[in-house]
Amino acid sequence: MSYLLIVDDDEDFATAVATVLRDGGHDVRIESELSAAIRTMTERRPDLVVLDVMFPENSTGGFEIARQMRWNHDTLKDVPILMLTAVNTRFPLGFSSKDIDEDWLPVTDFLEKPVDLDVLAERVAAILKNRQSARASVPRQAP
Amino acid sequence: MDDPAIRPTESTSLHGDGMRISTDSTPRFVYELPLPVADPSAPVPAAEGVAAVLQEALLIGNMLWFARLRWMAISALAVFGAAGLIVHDLFRSLGLRPPIGWPFLIAALLLLANLVFLSHARRIARDPSPRTATWNLWAQIVADLLALTMVVHFLGSLETVTPFLYLAHIVLACIFFSRRQSLVVVAVAGGLYVACVGLEHWQIVSVSGIYLDPRLRQGMTSLPAFLWLTVLSTLGIYFVVWFLASHLSGLVRGQEAELVEANRRLTIAQQEKTRHMLRTTHELKAPFAAIAANAQLLLRGHCGVLPDAATEVVRRIAMRCRRLAVEIQEMLQLANLQSADTPPQPVRLDLAEMARWAIARVGAVAQERRVTMDEQLASASVVAVEDHLKMLLTNIVSNAVVYSAEGGIVRVRCDATPPEGPVVTVEDEGIGIPQEKLPRIFDVYYRTEEAIRHNKDSTGLGLAIVRHVAVNHGIRVCVESAPGRGTRFTLRFPSTG
Repeated sequence: MSYLLIVDDDEDFATAVATVLRDGGHDVRIESELSAAIRTMTERRPDLVVLDVMFPENSTGGFEIARQMRWNHDTLKDVPILMLTAVNTRFPLGFSSKDIDEDWLPVTDFLEKPVDLDVLAERVAAILKNRQSARASVPRQAP
Repeated sequence: MDDPAIRPTESTSLHGDGMRISTDSTPRFVYELPLPVADPSAPVPAAEGVAAVLQEALLIGNMLWFARLRWMAISALAVFGAAGLIVHDLFRSLGLRPPIGWPFLIAALLLLANLVFLSHARRIARDPSPRTATWNLWAQIVADLLALTMVVHFLGSLETVTPFLYLAHIVLACIFFSRRQSLVVVAVAGGLYVACVGLEHWQIVSVSGIYLDPRLRQGMTSLPAFLWLTVLSTLGIYFVVWFLASHLSGLVRGQEAELVEANRRLTIAQQEKTRHMLRTTHELKAPFAAIAANAQLLLRGHCGVLPDAATEVVRRIAMRCRRLAVEIQEMLQLANLQSADTPPQPVRLDLAEMARWAIARVGAVAQERRVTMDEQLASASVVAVEDHLKMLLTNIVSNAVVYSAEGGIVRVRCDATPPEGPVVTVEDEGIGIPQEKLPRIFDVYYRTEEAIRHNKDSTGLGLAIVRHVAVNHGIRVCVESAPGRGTRFTLRFPSTG
């Protein structure tokens, strides 16, 4: 069981995502306020963050949270981020995996809203699995 | 709180009616909604500002033209001078004095001046400066007027109509310069003409003229009234022509300025409309994503088992959600294509690879509809915006699959060999499009009844996207169709050399 944090101001959407992930056996928490997101993460470090882009006070708030996690918080910089977005200002025709860029969009993966919840559950499982196998391989690589 | 429009205020204040309200210690913030102010960078509508901008462009653009036009005058003078040397007898037989030397002299002076003007004008064209352009044009006009005065003197200032050649410069000055400046040109032209006639009249320069018989001139000048009347009426004509030409030129400039301003406003309005549409569509996506997600919860049993009838209702909701998702995506794509704020950079791409990508993209639908994809794709290089080209090809290939009968074949060909550029053809054996409806299939939201009957999910936006991408990339799209037998789209890409 992993601890997953959903940062999304749309409670209806976040609850639906949370239901699917909880049914998948995870411990899920929803944080709907952007300003509290980092604090919530530092209180208990999530194994994965499902992050929205647009927030009522900041239309690119999700990008900023992702950058803060990567650059300003040692404990959060390795937390995988699955970004969900309904808006796309830099690549208006839809994201593609080539757009994941450590400077501009430092996330692990993303999905465009509306999402297929089965696909979302699969992506979450894949990211968590990758993370586990990467962690398992670290001691072997150590000198 | 960084907003400068927000400012802290005293804890007590006077209300509108003068009543003092609230005396607690909590600071309060007052925000005043800023009213829209005129954009200071915007040109002043239909006024001198716009006219001046237009005039600068006119000046720089026409300096070279002016100098090139002078070559014609120089050539005409040279030909006239040569005629005076070669067929002087003909001149004499016609009662004319053959021009000796002076046309060459004037042509040579103009030629030298023109070389200087041209090199200067080219230098300005590389590094535009309206101020230097104005000086260049002024110098050209003054040089022309001086040369013209010499021509007037040699051909006859009273007995020929050459003094009216000054009118050409007066009219050009009315077009290029302001009213006041063009009046200065009238004064210079008139002054030179009066000086020419005066110098001849008081015999400071010898009287010349094209006519051999001196009695013509003598007859004219024997009547003092004739001289004054001719000079004054010529000057009067200069003034009338200046008045009319400068007035008309002012009107045209004013109208052009209004057009420029109207065009600027239209462009801004169009951009604003597109931005608003993009924003609205994005705003629609968020609540819609929540509806779609919750419908999926019900459908996939996350909330327990539903009765069959309820499952059917939720299935229909989910289906409409999927259709709406496609429609929103296409609306966004179209709006993005129409908004030219930051047009993406085209890059060199392999057309066959793009076609393969589009075919893979519709692979699942083709499989579902048991449509066979037959592809023969030769590598061909094109220059295009990758996302846009993918959209174009995906829409055309997807249409071919969707409008095919079950078990049909869709043939996609990419041919790199035609000399005029690569060609992609996408051919299906589907429902076809009636001839009279072909011209409308690229219209936004247009769907034929046949298409809706076959595929309810049609949004009517796919081919509108195709049209936009094709127009932006210079791709010629040709559709051939036979109702009930199939359709072939031929895409002719511009050659990239």
